[in-house]
Amino acid sequence: MKVISVCVGSSCHLKGSYDIIKIFKKLIKDNNLDEEWELKAEFCCNNCRNPVSVRIGDSEPYSLEVDNAKAFFKEKILGA
Amino acid sequence: MMKVRTELYWESTNKYGEELCGDKVEAVQSNEETIMVMADGLGSGVKANILSTLTTKIAVTMLRQGATIEETVKTIMATLPICKVRKIAYSTFTIIRVDSAGNCYIAEYGNPAIILLREGSVVRLKGVTREIAGKEVKEYRLKVQRNDVFIAMSDGVVHAGVEGILNLGWQWENIAQYIEKVSKVEHTIGSLVKLLSSATMNFYMDKPGDDATIAALKIIDPQFVTVFTGPPQKPEDDQIVVKNLMEKPGKKVVCGGTAAQITARVLGREIKTSTEFTVPEIPPIAWIKGIDLVTEGVLTLARTRELLIRYIDPHAQYKELRQLEQKDGASRLARILLDATDITFLLGKAINPAHQNPDFPKDLSIKINIVKELAEILDKMGKHIETIYY
Repeated sequence: MKVISVCVGSSCHLKGSYDIIKIFKKLIKDNNLDEEWELKAEFCCNNCRNPVSVRIGDSEPYSLEVDNAKAFFKEKILGA
Repeated sequence: MMKVRTELYWESTNKYGEELCGDKVEAVQSNEETIMVMADGLGSGVKANILSTLTTKIAVTMLRQGATIEETVKTIMATLPICKVRKIAYSTFTIIRVDSAGNCYIAEYGNPAIILLREGSVVRLKGVTREIAGKEVKEYRLKVQRNDVFIAMSDGVVHAGVEGILNLGWQWENIAQYIEKVSKVEHTIGSLVKLLSSATMNFYMDKPGDDATIAALKIIDPQFVTVFTGPPQKPEDDQIVVKNLMEKPGKKVVCGGTAAQITARVLGREIKTSTEFTVPEIPPIAWIKGIDLVTEGVLTLARTRELLIRYIDPHAQYKELRQLEQKDGASRLARILLDATDITFLLGKAINPAHQNPDFPKDLSIKINIVKELAEILDKMGKHIETIYY
């Protein structure tokens, strides 16, 4: 199972983790990826100065704005 | 030997149109004993307020200094100013005193009989009437049990509804039945008291004919809680703070992403997270084996602070207190803190640079201040607070 994790630390939370998790949850469901991808929350990955931190597996954190979440998902998850 | 502590909550409603309440509750709590006094001054408004304030103040102060009940009652009677209209000095009182060994003494004068809620049922206590300083005072002596709730009321509660929707008022037996029923779903004495108080107001159709007060005292075990939040300034203290957290008795709470990671790393355990948001404003909780609650830091702590401020605010609505029953991290933390008697904060002073950015809500930028305020509120509630900085 591949893992996509979204930081829910204070800073990321204020920048939109809640919305990004909601968007990812829906996209995973809509694309029937439940068996393939696991969505996880993560506590602080020391990238607090940037927008919401999202990691794929053990990758370095990507910094995501809520508005880019859909495009990011398309590129990294659907395009993978 | 049994060691007990107490949790207190009270609320007063003023007679319709009065600015001041003629009822008064005063309490002192220490590790050795709790003394709570509820008094109802003759009449209403400022006169009654002075009578009941004097009564509660004198009683609490003298009893705490070791005076006998006789001396205390005599002093009260000799001190109260005499009412010009009625030519007497008069204030009722209910004094509840519980020591840490679980011995309870109650002296009651002129107030409705005290209610004891024990294991879900109301017990009508048998008291002995004795003359003290010319007054018929009813005394009760008993051994308390864990989770006992004593509820003292002023007569404004049992008269609720007189001249309104209840011919004979809200009688003691009916109040007792009501308390038995609602105690099954109310888990804090705060919400229990508020519910009783709002029921009283309803019977008066929001125009209470008398001051009405409900004061509750719950018997609890000494309950220790240690909260670790904020990474230590010096990374070499990580080990020490986690060791301290694990060695303290009682419940363990970790607030904050970094603090959680430090804890997990030092213990060699995994952090399990969840993507379930119970309320959108509060980040989800997580789990570390051996830790009772793991939450995000500053947002959760700030919300817990708000919840507790509301809990002690006499103007807070009943439904606002019900928020404490929610499952988000802040409500869980608030419940753990409310149940505690002794709380230790292990407070790291390292500053998260991301929280210093101008877009970050201003009052959240300094976690230390939030924890300090939280500690002050808990201290006001009578809890024993210790803060250790790292």
